[in-house]
Amino acid sequence: MWFIAEDLINGILMGAIYGLTALGLTVIFGVLKVINFAHGSLLMVGMFVAYWAVTLSGLHPYLALILVIPIMFFFGYYLQDIVIKPIFKAEKDVREPITVIIVTTGLWYILDNLTLLIFGPQYRNIQDNPLRGKMLEIGGMFISVPKLWGFSAAILTALAIYWFLQRTRMGRAIRATSLDRDAASLMGIKQYKVYNIAFGIGTAAAGIAGVTLVPFYNVFPSVGVLFDIKGFIIVVLGGLGSISGAILGGMIIGVIESVGPQFMTATWTEGIVYALFLLVLFVKPSGLFGVRYDW
Amino acid sequence: MKERSIGRKVYVCVLAFAFVCSMAFLADRPALAQPKAVKVGNILPLSGPSASVGQQNRYAQDMAIEEINAAGGIKSLGGAKITMLYSDSESKPEKGVAEAERLINTEKVHVLTGCWNSAVTYPTTAVAERYGTPFIVPVSVADKITEQGFKTVFRIAAKDSWWTRDQFVFLSDLQKEFNAKVSTLAFVYENGDWGKGFAGGWKKLAEKGGYKVLLDEPYPSTATDMSPLVQKIKRANPDVLLLVSNAADAILLTNTMAEYKVKPKAIIASGGGHADPSFLKAVGKNGQYLFDIVEWETDVNKPGVKEINQKFKSKYDYNLAGESVDAYIAMYVMADALERAKSLDPKAIRDALAKTKLTKGPAMIASYDAIEFDETGQNKYAALVMVQINDIGKGMERISVWPKGARRAGYKPLFPVPVR
Repeated sequence: MWFIAEDLINGILMGAIYGLTALGLTVIFGVLKVINFAHGSLLMVGMFVAYWAVTLSGLHPYLALILVIPIMFFFGYYLQDIVIKPIFKAEKDVREPITVIIVTTGLWYILDNLTLLIFGPQYRNIQDNPLRGKMLEIGGMFISVPKLWGFSAAILTALAIYWFLQRTRMGRAIRATSLDRDAASLMGIKQYKVYNIAFGIGTAAAGIAGVTLVPFYNVFPSVGVLFDIKGFIIVVLGGLGSISGAILGGMIIGVIESVGPQFMTATWTEGIVYALFLLVLFVKPSGLFGVRYDW
Repeated sequence: MKERSIGRKVYVCVLAFAFVCSMAFLADRPALAQPKAVKVGNILPLSGPSASVGQQNRYAQDMAIEEINAAGGIKSLGGAKITMLYSDSESKPEKGVAEAERLINTEKVHVLTGCWNSAVTYPTTAVAERYGTPFIVPVSVADKITEQGFKTVFRIAAKDSWWTRDQFVFLSDLQKEFNAKVSTLAFVYENGDWGKGFAGGWKKLAEKGGYKVLLDEPYPSTATDMSPLVQKIKRANPDVLLLVSNAADAILLTNTMAEYKVKPKAIIASGGGHADPSFLKAVGKNGQYLFDIVEWETDVNKPGVKEINQKFKSKYDYNLAGESVDAYIAMYVMADALERAKSLDPKAIRDALAKTKLTKGPAMIASYDAIEFDETGQNKYAALVMVQINDIGKGMERISVWPKGARRAGYKPLFPVPVR
């Protein structure tokens, strides 16, 4: 029974981190109604920024957040402002602008290959940092310290975004835009500014996810792809646009991935994840924790 | 009026500059001036999950081609230079097949080489066979690649059944040398053609050798969390763990095993990700005492090894890996065949390749003494070396330990590995 507890804890911790990687995706979808295929690449950019910030300054990985959050926020803000907005304007009469999805796919390729050109395909990780390889040993149980940090970061980020959307003026504007962008515009909300900020928040969340991954994961140009697919499943599972849904969806996948292999081959757990994904689509298309309507 | 003439002067200057530049650019490309050039299509994973190793292959081959061209190209073809056309497979079989079609039909290449991933090479060789284009396979080790009855496929590296065979011979030699008994094994391997091929071999060999297999576990190479797998290994508690991994998962697995303090008597890896130069850097101390089987090691005692490795290192900042050496050798095998073929006719090149008997030249930095192909196109003499990763005062390095004749002087492998 010990085993199960240990795997369950690992699954929940890792799952919350998966949820964090998907958080930006869900925020951007909730507001822009666009599936951002470049999200994995944004995560990769976040990991590179975190990697260089930690390696060059020798800071505790989580102190790098001071740098990573603003850099990633403005990166996302201007990415939306300069690259995506013009296409958005061309398609403004459509509720779910499809061309923008194609643009984000293009962004994904450009970002991944640009990093490949600049930094090369090597695998990097931070050698000397206070979190690397640290384990908590309780009884016979091993709990990874960097994952514990990642778990806390995920919960805090989700709470912060939730609070921001519920309690601040800007948050209300964002929610209004996501409900009905035309009505919001009529009320004097600057629609495109809201999009920029939502994109910035989504990108900053990807940056935070990058920081949580860097202490125990490798950094390389195509790393985003590994988390991307998982991110889409999590977001649909939890409900597109739902913040708690992303974290809980992530945890469900984390637990399946962690407990599953103890009873079957590891490759089968992927099958279970996809089967669950299909089941949710059939039974509750709005996701486990999604609302039938938008925010 | 005056202003306008200045504008015109500037315009003329710019034009003249552009002209000079373009001439310089043209003059810089001798391939255009040569009447004949040998076109070689090279399909490699240059982006995607195997980009790191694909790039290393490319560097090694670039270096070989540069050397061959600098030494006067293919002399029997009037000094024809070799032009390499790279295309990216992204590790996807369908992409490899499409690229092979394109290289043969559109680019009219004379020879094909690649594709690193066995899963890509396997269907791609069928395309080459259909058009009769000779295909030199440096490193894809899946047995079936040379067992299709094809006439145009030639492989430099040892095939995977030889790898598994040698791993088990090594294991029994190790037990004899250290008088220690190994009775239980665990197999953990990436869930692709390569890993499954190895696992199939291991199963048969384990049965023959009387070992008990406690765990037989494939895993997806794209796994983002290795702790569940590591937990499984830990609970199975095998004497020896056998691994097949690509680079990202090899790093993650090694680090996670160190975190969970999984310490079998020995870990034996199968090259690939474990032989990737970024592996040593990324795992640091966690990789200590790991055994790895490879085609080649920098301490192989053959003439030219040090110089060629030094040249590569100064250019690209890391040591040659076994796979890069196979890629490098492949280019010299090709040049040798072209020299003897005296023609760019695919059939002539194929026949020359089939008659290869290479015993000297830079290709002999290999750990064995001759290159000859058997009737299936497999290099008969390809041999393997077992190394142990250890720190003997100069940081973590790969030290040859087996076969005993190849063992680095003064080094005694550690087995069972000490528990830290």
